[in-house]
Amino acid sequence: MHQNGVVVLDNGGGLIKAGYGGERDPAAIIPNCVYRPLSSKKWLTPSPTDPIDLTSAAVRRPIDRGYLINPDLQREIWAHLFSQVLRVNPAQSSLLLTEPLFTLPSIQRAADELVFEDFNFAALYVAHAPSLAHLYEASRRPVKAQCSLVVDCGFSFTHAVPVFQNFPINYAAKRIDLGGKALTNYLKELVSYRSVNVMDETFLIDDVKEKLCFVSMNVTRDLQIAKKHGKDNAFRCTYVLPDGVTHTQGYVKNPEEAKRYLAIGDSDSLQEVAKKMDVNRVEVVDKLEERKKIDLSKNEFDLTNERFLVPEMIFHPADLGMNQAGLAECIVRAVSSCHPHLHPVLYESIILTGGSTLFPRLADRLERELRPLVPDDYQVKITPQEDPILGVWRGGSVLASSPDFEAMCVTKAEYEELGSARCRKRFF
Amino acid sequence: MDDDVSAPFRRSSSRNRKVASKMAAALMSTDNRTQAALARLEALENDNAGLETVEVNDDDEASLDDEDQGYIQKKQPKGTKRKTRQAKALEARKAPRTFLELLHEANLESLPPHVPSYLKAAVGPPSSTSRRHFCTVCGSAANYTCVRCGMRFCSCRCQNIHNDTRCQKFVA
Repeated sequence: MHQNGVVVLDNGGGLIKAGYGGERDPAAIIPNCVYRPLSSKKWLTPSPTDPIDLTSAAVRRPIDRGYLINPDLQREIWAHLFSQVLRVNPAQSSLLLTEPLFTLPSIQRAADELVFEDFNFAALYVAHAPSLAHLYEASRRPVKAQCSLVVDCGFSFTHAVPVFQNFPINYAAKRIDLGGKALTNYLKELVSYRSVNVMDETFLIDDVKEKLCFVSMNVTRDLQIAKKHGKDNAFRCTYVLPDGVTHTQGYVKNPEEAKRYLAIGDSDSLQEVAKKMDVNRVEVVDKLEERKKIDLSKNEFDLTNERFLVPEMIFHPADLGMNQAGLAECIVRAVSSCHPHLHPVLYESIILTGGSTLFPRLADRLERELRPLVPDDYQVKITPQEDPILGVWRGGSVLASSPDFEAMCVTKAEYEELGSARCRKRFF
Repeated sequence: MDDDVSAPFRRSSSRNRKVASKMAAALMSTDNRTQAALARLEALENDNAGLETVEVNDDDEASLDDEDQGYIQKKQPKGTKRKTRQAKALEARKAPRTFLELLHEANLESLPPHVPSYLKAAVGPPSSTSRRHFCTVCGSAANYTCVRCGMRFCSCRCQNIHNDTRCQKFVA
């Protein structure tokens, strides 16, 4: 039981990261949703300990497009989290809560009510994810960086936000309405149309996306490769669906096969790729024969170009029919909205955070797209966080353990005296 | 929406349903293709929230997403339980609203132009208008457009598959 501590809560659209201030890792990471498996009539709250069967589970999320729109549902999830998972007494602890930029006043009010009136927290501090990511990165470097550009590619949307002395420069923040959720749904749509209907299997396809998707360095060439038949196709990969009897989790049938794309260099021509695949072929042959045998059971599907076309949408949302610029351009626009003196510094310290930056090669591709857009005499340096999902939480933990944290909080007494709107002014 | 009324107890994913209703709306409108494209983008933000049709009438705890609400409204005249005005107001308050409704309510357009807001943070249209097209059937680069619905395909083979499976949905 942690008494009088600070609870750090990174309330993401996809995952809740929660733990105690000052620790290195959050005590609990649970999906921010309630779910109802096929076998049950009740909505259940996920907890990290008991194994859950998410096959065809229906899902409801309190967060839509990144913002908390269903406080009732959030209350249910938090209640479970605080009492069963973290085992804290809210009345004796403070809360550090993350909030996306530009949260609407009505949503802020609902969140305040939730924290102070439903859970009775003693104090609240509201932080923005970009400044926490910046704080964490700055705390790890010997020379403290004054400012950085945080690219947060999360579950609901993607933000490029310049952070200056721990404050997000909100007039320069730029957003792409595309995040992990949309990508998963896109993959779901592709797989459902092309092979097996998986429209209800959100969690399964999430897993497929995490394990198999990667960012292509040369899309036109990779599309050519993906067209090839049989063993020449370096991208083909089989994912086995759970059958509910021998395994309840889906898995990649042949992990070596899934990694074959790594052998292809960035600038290899088609012939060179074909040669390289010849070398690799031998090992794969016998496994392919094996595959043909089991194919009859029909509980698996192949992915080829979907593996890189899905993350590709972050770089070119226009291909999806969205009228929005891609990630590289988003960064350039965010930087050029700042004071010109900041431009070189910001390009030099780009921090990648958020779960959707975990796609292999994303940073390389981003650098390649960014370089032509940035003036020649500026350096471009992209730092992927070592653990992009937890980076923001760790920043919160650092902040919560700083000596003047207590002074920055809004206490329950202040909230009761002044109301939500007045207290909020403190966080800007 | 019509789907729901004709077969209320059929289980299906919410996404299919949503597309179907939006698709129906798209057919009414003049510019079918843009409507369909918008509906598709909207669908990318969906959860599979499941159907609540069985317990929705007697259980107010259950979620009322916008479609379910439509369902209730349609069913209400036939229902035996009459609701007071107060109860209805309570229900309306309880039903979670979508983000777009909240956004509309916040009336961000009325803010002075220098105040940064959700709307102004959107990255805006890309500088180059070139859009790459991928075959909706197999995913490779698509050079051809379906004359009826505007979807893309790359080869004769894919065109046939497209005509057999997807195309009819868009044709008025």
